[in-house]
Amino acid sequence: MADKKTIKFEIVTPENTVLSKEIIQVTVPTQDGEITILPEHIPLVSILRPGVLEIKTIDQEMEIVSVSGGFIDVLRDKVVILADTAERAEELDEERIVAAKTKAESAKAEALNHEDYDLSAVSVKLEVALARERALHKWRKLKNVK
Amino acid sequence: MAKTKEISRRIKSIGNTKKITRAMEMVAAAKMRKAIEAVLRTRTYANLSWETVLHLSAMANGDGELRHPLLTNRAETKKAAIILITSNRGMCGAYNTAVISKAKESIKLHPDVPVEFILVGKKGATVYSQKQIVAAEFPKSDALTDSAEVVPIIKMAIADFLSAKYDKVFVAYTDFVSPAKQVPRVKQLLPVDIKAEDEFLGIVGDPKVSVTKDLIAEKGKQHLHANSGFEYIFEPSPEEVLDKIIPRLLEVQIYQALLEANASEHSSRMSAMHQATEAATEMVSELTLFYNKARQAGITAEIAEISAGANALLD
Repeated sequence: MADKKTIKFEIVTPENTVLSKEIIQVTVPTQDGEITILPEHIPLVSILRPGVLEIKTIDQEMEIVSVSGGFIDVLRDKVVILADTAERAEELDEERIVAAKTKAESAKAEALNHEDYDLSAVSVKLEVALARERALHKWRKLKNVK
Repeated sequence: MAKTKEISRRIKSIGNTKKITRAMEMVAAAKMRKAIEAVLRTRTYANLSWETVLHLSAMANGDGELRHPLLTNRAETKKAAIILITSNRGMCGAYNTAVISKAKESIKLHPDVPVEFILVGKKGATVYSQKQIVAAEFPKSDALTDSAEVVPIIKMAIADFLSAKYDKVFVAYTDFVSPAKQVPRVKQLLPVDIKAEDEFLGIVGDPKVSVTKDLIAEKGKQHLHANSGFEYIFEPSPEEVLDKIIPRLLEVQIYQALLEANASEHSSRMSAMHQATEAATEMVSELTLFYNKARQAGITAEIAEISAGANALLD
């Protein structure tokens, strides 16, 4: 890291500002697949899907954040993520995630049997729960390795 | 004696009013605290998202091939709509009057454009008596918890805008600056336009950092390519991204406006009730003085009568 190119990075949700930091790279789950943004990225707007954000801060630390969807706005030296909801992995609670997951799974199974149920809404809930679980696992792995 | 009785009755009734206004002040203070919390939590998101929308609009109105109906200005404004956010209840000082007169001021600046109102909150109904046309009324819940509540409002606004019923949509609300200061504002919602007249521009929240064209241009220079102007890449495609992002972000704007309005309402109710309580205290002490004077005058008169009677007997 000879040159000190960094990105001003912010994740905000309607509830709070989850993270606001100088970073060197971030991987985000967009609708078309994961993209990694490095400094000097060309301006970009994209839609996020539920998933895991991997952020590398300037002190080479990794941060794991789960999002449930939203938008990303990339400017020359600034990245803003407008998330519907977002949680840092260390703040996630496994019990609640598992409970939410089982609930979402059963809801999805039920929705599959009833044609008039809103399957897409249920699937999104399940995806969000899965994304949180993945974020938690990734974070644990990261901390154990260290 | 009749006079003292009357005064004491008034003192009692004012005392009762004072109890009520004091209770209302306390309730408003508690509600205000909650509302302020909610407003501050969402503000960053709303401001950042509005910035994004303005960037997009700056690009869409440039010479690029990108065009989106929600971002494009119409050649002429045949009709406009104002979403007017007011309170459900009165007893909040000049809160409702201020926002309504602000909206009417903006109408007066463009006398040739007919305007329809979309009301949110019961007190907006006063515009009926001011010979304004009302297109729709939406209920407003006192404790706003979920942005889902604004979905029908924004859906209607977008649909009517796209069907060319309106060529411009504004939102009139009260901006919360501090518990002691609230500013009524009119903001252009549709089309999202960076070139809109300054009077209508503004970021929800802090009037000190309200966005002007200079700021956006500066931001563009700072963050975007200097030579290519506002050039964004869109993934998956511009249409898809804009179709998703703009309604969602407008929703956030209206939601934020509602939160700001709520916080303003409770603060202005609190200060109105505080003043009422103070006025009542003052009145009670003044009346007590009158009461004592009247009582004393009565006693003096009685003594004079008795001594006059005694004197008459002595003679």
